[in-house]
Amino acid sequence: MPEVSPDQYLALFRDMWRVRKFEQALEREFKRGKVPGMLHVGLGQEATLAAIAHSLRKEDGIFPDHRCHGLLFLKGTPGKKIMAELFGRATGICSGKGGSLHSADASVNNFGDNGVQGSYMVTALGVALGWKMQGKNNVSAVVVGDGTSGRGEWHESMNLASVWKAPVFFICVNNGYAISTPVGFSHATEDLVDFAKSYKIPAVQVDGNDVLASFQATQEAVAHIRAGKGPYFVEYKTWRWQGMFSGEFRPAEEVKYYKEDHEPIALAKADLLKKGIASPEQLDAIEKEAEAEIEEWVSYAQNSPLPDPAKATANVYIGWEVESWQS
Amino acid sequence: MAVITTVQALNDALGLMMAEDQRVYCLGEDIGKMGGDFGVTRGLYDEFGGERVRDTPLSEAAIIGAAVGSAMVGMRPVAEIMFADFIGTCYDQVVNNAAKVHYMFDGQFRAPIVIRTACGGGFGGGPHHSQQIEGWFMNVPGLVIVAPSNPHDAKGLLIASIEDDNPILFLEHKALYRQKGEVPEGKYTVPLRKAKVVRPGKDITVVTSMKTLYDAMAAANELEAEGVSVEVIDLRTLRPWDHQTVLESVARTGRAIVVNEAPKIGGLAADVSAVISEEAFSYLKAPVMRVCGLDTPIPFSLPLEKLILPDKDRVKQGILKVCGK
Ligand SMILES: Cc1ncc(C[n+]2csc(CCOP(=O)(O)OP(=O)(O)O)c2C)c(N)n1
Ligand SMILES: [Mg+2]
Repeated sequence: MPEVSPDQYLALFRDMWRVRKFEQALEREFKRGKVPGMLHVGLGQEATLAAIAHSLRKEDGIFPDHRCHGLLFLKGTPGKKIMAELFGRATGICSGKGGSLHSADASVNNFGDNGVQGSYMVTALGVALGWKMQGKNNVSAVVVGDGTSGRGEWHESMNLASVWKAPVFFICVNNGYAISTPVGFSHATEDLVDFAKSYKIPAVQVDGNDVLASFQATQEAVAHIRAGKGPYFVEYKTWRWQGMFSGEFRPAEEVKYYKEDHEPIALAKADLLKKGIASPEQLDAIEKEAEAEIEEWVSYAQNSPLPDPAKATANVYIGWEVESWQS
Repeated sequence: MAVITTVQALNDALGLMMAEDQRVYCLGEDIGKMGGDFGVTRGLYDEFGGERVRDTPLSEAAIIGAAVGSAMVGMRPVAEIMFADFIGTCYDQVVNNAAKVHYMFDGQFRAPIVIRTACGGGFGGGPHHSQQIEGWFMNVPGLVIVAPSNPHDAKGLLIASIEDDNPILFLEHKALYRQKGEVPEGKYTVPLRKAKVVRPGKDITVVTSMKTLYDAMAAANELEAEGVSVEVIDLRTLRPWDHQTVLESVARTGRAIVVNEAPKIGGLAADVSAVISEEAFSYLKAPVMRVCGLDTPIPFSLPLEKLILPDKDRVKQGILKVCGK
């Protein structure tokens, strides 16, 4: 296991708070009707997200899923441009044309989410293949939820990544449920890592609420892929706070376990204190700073203009324009 | 100029582009050593190796996904889907990614891919190896559909498609693969989104593509003797198709029929006839007619298949009816 320095640990802790505050602010604004469309948030999955972000380089590719708003800014895109995109504003990273489910930033090789869950599993394979053919050693990282792993594309991409030794990092976020369906109910195994093993891909399972364990597993995965040894698979066992759309359908003791006893930020905080890496005051200050930063992004988004109407018909084709309304 | 088949012309185009541009590579099922089901990639494996002529399993979604992803980082993939009918297995990849990445991320990415696929009926291929599938994709903004009718255009359009920055569905009609024609050596392009008036005429415009061009030509030649002068247009790009060439023709002839192998409902012919009616109504001396496949799947047995597809006689009947004869 690679050692994690106190500074690195604190940086992970700080980014967990930034993800938490981002998603909480977003959910609040969504409920106020300021964020259009649908919203899924990554609350409860902060450790997994921070661990991934801290293991990838800027030039590595990321295919973030619907609970990865945090990854978008942790990857290096200015957070205010992410927030503005979610608000559907002109200043958003895709000029307001993508929204939560389609936010990409080519400048940091974020290839965007897909509203058709997981379709990009094979796009990630293609990015990896392209880079391999070009002699680059970037990693193409793709986030897939437990429910989404039922798709054929998952199997097609794992098989071919293995055959082609393509640099794909399969990030399996197993939070226990699809919308409402428990993973063990709808898959042949509760341990999705089993599938990857059958495709001869090195694959491990990790407690996705334990930021250090997640970080270390991710570091090993990325090092393996970057060394040209082909794909790697990590299953992060975690849990999401959000039921899906509304209400809570999961057993009360399970909710309590994940929100209190095994909550990722609290776990990290206790560990940081125990190890004497920071004082309670320092850790509280980190939380406050994160909150202030995110609220700035919210006001930036709210005060940003709506998209230029010309954007509606822009960039459909390359080389010619589509017809607009005629008088 | 050499006289070669459509298959050889396509093969020529691929070989030229792969030699010229390192970014161009092919992927698909059995396209390597074997050269593909129809031989379009024959010899390319020996010339360029397995990295650039890449065999895949029956994983159509991964074929298109890998093409799109690699195109997003600068490659120029030419993906082969063995039979067009199979494209349902990767429909989502074509419609929701290939055709949308440029728009939904507001121009940050491009997906300059070519999806080559063998389509069309008339040979007893049955329900899953015979369909004309452009109708499945007519409603997909961002996608370009190209469909050559002869060896010369096949080569020029394929080169133009590989060089184009949009995602392109490139339809190859199986009945035309072995057809021979004069094809220039070396590199040339045939413009995309440009239809061609193949046969000038005065009385009626017949809009065709791929194999139906030959049905229309045969009908036109027979009708010449009966005193009907038929103009025949080959669309060459099916979406977005060339309104101008068609409308100019209809403005001259005042009559139009649209021929298409696929069923009428919601298909290419529906769109072409709607545009003619919308834009050239004042020139029309008769309603626009569609001569299309019937609203059935493609049956296996040849006489049944013949019953449901348009042919020379059905085009001829259509022309006579629209001309009031
Ligand atoms: C192809 C597809 N099928 C269904 C949906 C609707 N849908 C959105 S999220 C979801 C569940 C996803 O579960 P999982 O992958 O476990 O992700 P989680 O939300 O639990 O993080 C479903 C069924 C979709 N968007 N795309
Ligand atoms: Mg889940």
